[in-house]
Amino acid sequence: MAEIDTSGGGGKHKGGVRSKKMSTRVDLTPMVDLAFLLITFFMLTTTLSKPKAMQLNMPKKTENEKDKQEIGECQVMNVLLDTLDNVWYYDGLQVAGLQKTSFDPSGGIRKEILAFMKKVPNECPLTSKGAKRDAIVLIKMLHGARYKNMVDILDEMDITGCKIYAIQEPDPIEIEAVENGGTVKTFNKDVVKEDAK
Amino acid sequence: MPKVKVPRKSTAVDMTAMCDVSFLLLTFFILTAKFKPEELVAVDIPNSRSTKSFTDAITILLNKEGKAYISLGESLTRLNMLDQMVEKYGDKYPELKNLTPTQKQFFSKIETWGTPVSDLPRVLSMNGTQLQAYQKQMPGIPIDSANNQLADWVQASRYATDGNIKIAIKSDKDTNIEPVKEVVKGLTSKDIHRFLLVTTLSGPGASPTPADDEKK
Repeated sequence: MAEIDTSGGGGKHKGGVRSKKMSTRVDLTPMVDLAFLLITFFMLTTTLSKPKAMQLNMPKKTENEKDKQEIGECQVMNVLLDTLDNVWYYDGLQVAGLQKTSFDPSGGIRKEILAFMKKVPNECPLTSKGAKRDAIVLIKMLHGARYKNMVDILDEMDITGCKIYAIQEPDPIEIEAVENGGTVKTFNKDVVKEDAK
Repeated sequence: MPKVKVPRKSTAVDMTAMCDVSFLLLTFFILTAKFKPEELVAVDIPNSRSTKSFTDAITILLNKEGKAYISLGESLTRLNMLDQMVEKYGDKYPELKNLTPTQKQFFSKIETWGTPVSDLPRVLSMNGTQLQAYQKQMPGIPIDSANNQLADWVQASRYATDGNIKIAIKSDKDTNIEPVKEVVKGLTSKDIHRFLLVTTLSGPGASPTPADDEKK
């Protein structure tokens, strides 16, 4: 089966006029070549054009007190995205200690989120029900930030395994802080909304 | 002494079986291949590590300038959507009620849509070549909170499919975040909370991160 006998039936000598038999076999190699070329083409085009997607769930507005979660100042990390692809972050509910970082996979915001996630369950006080707290990341995109940054930060949430995060509108004081390069000039504790605590 | 005849065997392999298999595979790939439809709106989507693929979605396209378009595969759904929109906007724009069945059929053949509702009758009375020229410079569907027609289109698609449709947002990576927020806000106000953000898988040759740009 595996080879073609090209000896033209030379094994049988039974007399008579021997006419030269032509083989009816065609060399299929070029055809196979072509077929595989086309297969490769179709394989690559089908898999490459398939878009992937990332799930984004936005919260429902709820009036029900039961659905609302108790949030302590200790467990909140704020991540701000600005127009120049920089990432700013600070812990807690008051704009203080704003720091600049980047999306660098080794030393950027990923490291900070991971460190924060490790810190929160150990250092924060227990909830009123006695459960350990988990880190909450608030993502705030400043006007003019690029869509790519939003996808990047959501990707970071997935990579770090941060389960609780929310996309919010930035406060005016946060916008100002970022514009001033991290320092809050007009920052006044009374300005921060009381209900945020 | 008779000569010992060594049968000569050729090294050529029978290609028939291989040929059969390769053509079988070829047929399979040709039949399952779905070519990308012609993209009227140029969108360069961002990378992510998400590997989730999706089907049956209505796609909201946002280009670099933040103009919104809507794209849908099923023509029957499109027809239903148009009826929903005519019902909704019929009082505001009475000329919508005069759309002929031919015009509606014409609408159901358009895959990517980016026109304010008020312009519907004019666009639908175009012929093929006029439409092609028009589609290159579509004005986009209004997404501002005062007149969020995009949310109405998406809601119409939900009604038309009994809610069995996913909502995908396909935005350019350089799009300003504001139109994206506006779209999301518009849809959450219609009680739509789940979105798919269309991305490509980031490979080893992924585009440099902002951090790399800074180092240079």
